[in-house]
Amino acid sequence: MTERSARRLRVGVVGCGAISHEHLRHISRSPSAELVAVCDRSPIVGRFARDQYGARRSYVSTDDMFAAEQLDVVHVITPPHTHESVVVQALDAGCDVICEKPLAPDAATMATLLDHARSTHRVLVETRNLLYNDPVVRIDHLRTSGALGDVREVDLAISIDLAAGPFGDPNLSGPGVGLPGGAVHDMLPHLSYLFLHLAGATDVDGITGWLRNTGGNPRVGFDALDAVVEAGAVQGHLRIAPASCPDSFRIRVGGTDRSVETDLYQPYLRIQGGRDVGRRAAIEQIRSGGRLALAAFSNVGSKVFDNGTYQGIPRMLERAYDAIRSGGEPPVSAENILAAARLTDLIVGLASPSTDTPGEP
Amino acid sequence: MKVLITGSTGFLGSRVVDLGLRAGWDVVALVRPSTDLAAVPWDSEKVDIIRGDLRQPGPWGDQIAAAGIDVVVHLAAATSGDIGDQVVNTLVSTENLLAALDHDRLRRFVHISTFSVYDYSSPRPGSLLDEESRIEPLPARRDPYTQTKRAQEAAVRQALGDRTELVILRPGAIYGPGASWDHGAAVTLGRFALIFSPQAELRLCHVDNCAAAVVEAVRSPEAAGEVVNLVDDDLPTHAEFFAMCRDRGMTSRIGVPVPWVAVDTVARLLALLDRTRLGGAIKLPELLAHRRQQARWKPMRYTNQRAKDLLGWRPERSISEGISTLADAGSNR
Repeated sequence: MTERSARRLRVGVVGCGAISHEHLRHISRSPSAELVAVCDRSPIVGRFARDQYGARRSYVSTDDMFAAEQLDVVHVITPPHTHESVVVQALDAGCDVICEKPLAPDAATMATLLDHARSTHRVLVETRNLLYNDPVVRIDHLRTSGALGDVREVDLAISIDLAAGPFGDPNLSGPGVGLPGGAVHDMLPHLSYLFLHLAGATDVDGITGWLRNTGGNPRVGFDALDAVVEAGAVQGHLRIAPASCPDSFRIRVGGTDRSVETDLYQPYLRIQGGRDVGRRAAIEQIRSGGRLALAAFSNVGSKVFDNGTYQGIPRMLERAYDAIRSGGEPPVSAENILAAARLTDLIVGLASPSTDTPGEP
Repeated sequence: MKVLITGSTGFLGSRVVDLGLRAGWDVVALVRPSTDLAAVPWDSEKVDIIRGDLRQPGPWGDQIAAAGIDVVVHLAAATSGDIGDQVVNTLVSTENLLAALDHDRLRRFVHISTFSVYDYSSPRPGSLLDEESRIEPLPARRDPYTQTKRAQEAAVRQALGDRTELVILRPGAIYGPGASWDHGAAVTLGRFALIFSPQAELRLCHVDNCAAAVVEAVRSPEAAGEVVNLVDDDLPTHAEFFAMCRDRGMTSRIGVPVPWVAVDTVARLLALLDRTRLGGAIKLPELLAHRRQQARWKPMRYTNQRAKDLLGWRPERSISEGISTLADAGSNR
């Protein structure tokens, strides 16, 4: 038994903004971790996170935190454009790192960071929380069990108005998200890793489509995407649409035997195909209706148990902690992180001078 | 006297600006860059405007520092949203404001807090909740509003120290045109409105009365260093408020009283179930979450005596008049 496996991991969190609360809530309850320190450039935000989640100390400087604390694991939850420097600092301080997506603005920078982690013999993991959400787990089970047959289609469609939140707030200055793909870039890692995972692919063969700013808000950068991706025999359709209601994150995986679909924001599962086609399609519809009705109860339960869209975060964190304590494989490999980053680069590359002009359809 | 008002276009802030101008203040209003001054409810010609967003440091900070501010009335804060939103809009905004001020010149800081910072779990039902009552010791069990407003108060106290006179105002439920508090109903179900804790006092403060108290807090020498609760005179119960609103045609729903003992018992059972069987994992709405529920519906008594003594304030609008302002604004359902 290693020294780490015999005790709880000493965890620090850098960046106490919105998404940090999902991490902090879990860390403060985790049997595997002890929340030692939080760090935010805003003293009041750091103190608030410390008091709210029972951290021992709060810092405004990562230099001070790393000098004072012997941390095993650092969660990097700062704005994405600042990840690189904080991750390097944490690795150099001898910490394993769990970083919110995207780890870096492009695949080349990610490769450098992953090389650095390898050279310092530390774990570096980018979050993949949606892979641990119940509907995705169930779809994945259908896929890997062969119930879908051979996967041929993976369609991912997000409806969300990225300009409506802080990313597009006209009262704030500077870019909403300091990444090449603008506000959309914040969602791209989800699309990239979900597509590759559900397609069972490690890379894509080609991509066509567009990335645009349809609303004309310059802070957003880009708010809409429509891309067709090919990976072997699998075709994917990746979309982000700002204008339709309600917000949704639809996933449809089509196989040679069955297809399955869900919405991560209003979860349900519909499985079509198999024997229930043609005259038996009504049976499938009755089954799907039953599943939809049950999903209503399940979704109420999820609300009560605070088990919403971020339900994958605690599950993924525990997997990461287990790997760090046991010296086992982390929940996402460096190769997977890079493969998703390469696909994200390709999507960002769809922005052309003729389509990235704000307001142009 | 130059008075900086944050949240100047908000529900309460716009009335404070108006009354401040009438009181002869040189009003400096911090307004967001996208605000249309033609649409603000006060005379923008008479107000020094500084454009800026408290959530983000910017040129507005230098402009405030150079403006020669004598008094700050800090109203800007989030009243809803998730915890991330409220941390930014309440805490980060306050931190940025405090960093921008010329503390050598600043004489007084009037901070608008809330009754939500108090502990409602410890006092016995029916007891008096006043300025000496205990602050919520377990904010994590309350809502983000309580959590951030409590932290905001602490941050203001810490930043100002002994350099500046601090007046903390804790208004009750501020009501007025556009803010009816659902006419005292806890929840509506079709034609019915559930009136939780119908015999409990509803700690109302009409927005005009509240604004008048803010003005007095700026100028009252006795208010320096004090915490002052703000509620109106002759507070109605939840049931009385609902009935008055219904009589004025603001709601046609049928009120269904749900006694406090029933509300409390259900929430206690859920809390027990959560603690013993579910590992404290459930997240209930305010209606059912015990500690949050107590803050809203536990029968307590309230007083505005300190406000009257220190501020010389008298709530000019009676509850009946206040309800008329709701009705006149068309707060009908």
